[in-house]
Amino acid sequence: MFELLGVGLLDMFQVKYLVPLFIGTLIGVVGGALPGITITMTVIVVLPFTFGLEPLQGLACMIGVYVGGETGGLITSCLLGIPGKPSAVATTFDGFPMSRNGEPGRALWLGIWASILGGLLGAVVLVAATGPLAQLALRFGPWEYFALFVLALSMVAGLVESSLVKGLLSGALGCVVTVLGNDPVMGQPRLALGISWLEGGIPFLPVLIGVFAFSQIMSELEKSTKNTEALSAALNLAVSHVKVLWEILSRPFLLLWSTFIGLVIGVLPAIGGSAANMLAYDQAKKFSSRPEKFGSGIPEGIIASEASNNANVAGSLVTIMAFGIPGDAVTAVMLGALTIHGIQSGPLFISQNPALAYGMFAAYILAHPLVLILLFLGVRWVLRIVIVPKSILFPVVLVLCVVGAYALGNSMATVYVLFVFGILGYLMVKLGFPLAPFILGVILGDQIEINLVRSLMTDSNLWLFVTRPISALLLAAAAASIVLSIWQHRRMQKKSAVAAGAADF
Amino acid sequence: MNLSKDGWSGLAVLAASLFLFALTLGLKDNPLVPIGPGYYPRIVLAVTAVFALALVVSDFLSEKSVRARESLNYLLVIEMFALFGVYVGALPYLGFRISTFLYVAASNALLDPPRSLKSAARVLLVAAITTVVVYYVFERYLTVLLPRGRWTNF
Repeated sequence: MFELLGVGLLDMFQVKYLVPLFIGTLIGVVGGALPGITITMTVIVVLPFTFGLEPLQGLACMIGVYVGGETGGLITSCLLGIPGKPSAVATTFDGFPMSRNGEPGRALWLGIWASILGGLLGAVVLVAATGPLAQLALRFGPWEYFALFVLALSMVAGLVESSLVKGLLSGALGCVVTVLGNDPVMGQPRLALGISWLEGGIPFLPVLIGVFAFSQIMSELEKSTKNTEALSAALNLAVSHVKVLWEILSRPFLLLWSTFIGLVIGVLPAIGGSAANMLAYDQAKKFSSRPEKFGSGIPEGIIASEASNNANVAGSLVTIMAFGIPGDAVTAVMLGALTIHGIQSGPLFISQNPALAYGMFAAYILAHPLVLILLFLGVRWVLRIVIVPKSILFPVVLVLCVVGAYALGNSMATVYVLFVFGILGYLMVKLGFPLAPFILGVILGDQIEINLVRSLMTDSNLWLFVTRPISALLLAAAAASIVLSIWQHRRMQKKSAVAAGAADF
Repeated sequence: MNLSKDGWSGLAVLAASLFLFALTLGLKDNPLVPIGPGYYPRIVLAVTAVFALALVVSDFLSEKSVRARESLNYLLVIEMFALFGVYVGALPYLGFRISTFLYVAASNALLDPPRSLKSAARVLLVAAITTVVVYYVFERYLTVLLPRGRWTNF
C-alpha cells in the first residue's frame, strides 16, 4: 500500500500531473472564495477542460479544485463575513468576529492551518480505509448492491431537515429520470414520450450541471445583491504561524473529533461539507468549557468548522473509490469524469486501476501543501478577484456549462437536457425540494435497476434480499434511517409547537 | 381545496407519475428475459405516486401559516432563463462563436445595464474575450469541436 502511495506521489511530482493539480488548486481557492460560487459549480466549470486530458491529469485537477475550494471558502468567511461556500458558514460565526476584533490574520490562518491539518488527517483514513472497504464490497452480489444503493438514497432523503416526504419524493423523482429512455439491461425502448433525444436515456452529467448551476446562479440573481463589498486594503494579515499552529495543536481532541465528524459525514452519501461544518461547530460548542463565548471570535469555532470540512473531502473520496457512490455533488462530477474516460468506479476500481487510485490519493495529499503555498503568496490577490462582478461571472459560467454539456456527446441533445433540468432544478429549490436526493437518484437509479434485475434473473426468490446477511443488514439500516428521521421530525415539530405555545403567552 | 405550493407540486408529480405508469402498461416484455422493461419503472413510479400522495395529504392536513413574502427579483430570473433559452435555440443556427458573443453581451448588459459608452464597450469586450478564449481553448487545445451554424457556416 505505502509502496504504491510512494509511486503515486512520485508520479504526481511530474510536471504533467503537477501543473493540472496546481491549476485546479488555484481555481478551487478562487472559486471557493467567491461568494455565490460553490465548489460544485467550480468543478462543473473545470470539467470540460479535463475531457482532453489523461484521466489522472483530469482527476488531479478536480481534486485540486475540491481541496482548494474547501480552504478558499474560509477567506471571505473570516475577512468579509460572507461564507464563500456553504461548508464555510460555521467559520463565519467566529472567524468574522475575530477579524472585527482586530485579528484578521489570526482568524484567517487559524482556519487555513486547521483546514490543512484536518485534510491531512483525513488523508490517513482515505489511504488506509479505502482498500479494505473496497475488499468488503467485493463480496457483494446484486442483492447487496441493490440494498446498499437503497440505503444511500434513504439516508440522504432522511437527512433532509425541512420535510422527510419531500426528501423521499425528490430521491424517487431522480430515479424516475433514469427510467426514461432505453432500459439499461436489454436496451429495449421505453417511455421516450416521442422525444428523439430521450430515446438513449438521460445522461446524468448534464442533469447534474443543469440542476446545480442554474439553481445556484438564479437563486443568487433573484436576491439582486452585489458582491462588491468594501475591502479594507490596509487589512493586516501578519501573524505568528508557530503561535497559530500551537493554538490548534494544543486542542488535539477538538481537532481529532472535528476531523472524525467531517470524515463520517463525507463517507455518508451526498450530504457534504455544509452539514459537516455545522455539526462539528455544534459539537465543539457542546464539549467546550466556555460555550457562551462561541460566536464572539474564539479559535475553537474556526478550528472545528475548517478541520471538519476538509476532512469531509477525504470521506467523500473514500465512498466513491470504495463503493462507486458519490459522497457529494463534487464527487458526483468526478464520477462522471471517470465514466467519460471509460473507467468503471466501484469496488474493483482500486484493484483494476491501482496507478490511478494511488495517484488520486497522492493528488489529495499534495493539494494541501499547494494550497498553503498559494495562500502564503497570494491571499490578498484572492481577495481582489472575489470582487469580480456577477454580471460578468455568471454568463461566463453558463457558457462553460453549455460547452461542458455539449462536449459530453458532441450533440445539442445534452445541451437541451442541461436547459430543461436547469429550469427543473430552480423550480425544485423554489418549491423546497432538496437537490441532493434527486441527484443521487439520477446517479444510482440505473444501478438500482441493473442490480434488481440481475438478482431476480439469478434467482426469482425475493426473500433473498432479506435472508442474505449483508443485504438484510443494509435494508434494515435503510428502514432504521427512515424511522429515525420520522422520529427526529416529530420531535422537532413538537419542540417548535412548544416554542410557539410559549411565545403565545 | 386549501393547498399550499407543497400540495400543488405533490398533485403535479402524482399526475405525472400516474400518466407514466399508465404508459408502462403498454410496454412489451422481452421473451429472452423473465423481467420486462416495464418492471422497474412501475415500481419507481408507484413509489413516486405514493410519496406525492403523502405530500398532498400532509399538506392538506397541516395548518397553513402566513409567511412574510420576500422581495425577490423573479423578473430578472425569467429574463435570464429566456435569454439562455434563446442562446441554446440559436446555437445550431448561428454557431458557437456568434451566439456565444451575443449571449454573453446580452446577459452582461441585462445584469448590469451599460450607462455610458465606456461601459457599453466593456460589455462588448467581455463578450469578445469570453468567446475567443473559450473557442480557442476548446477547439485548438482540448479537441472539442464546438457547434457550427447551419445559417452562418461559422
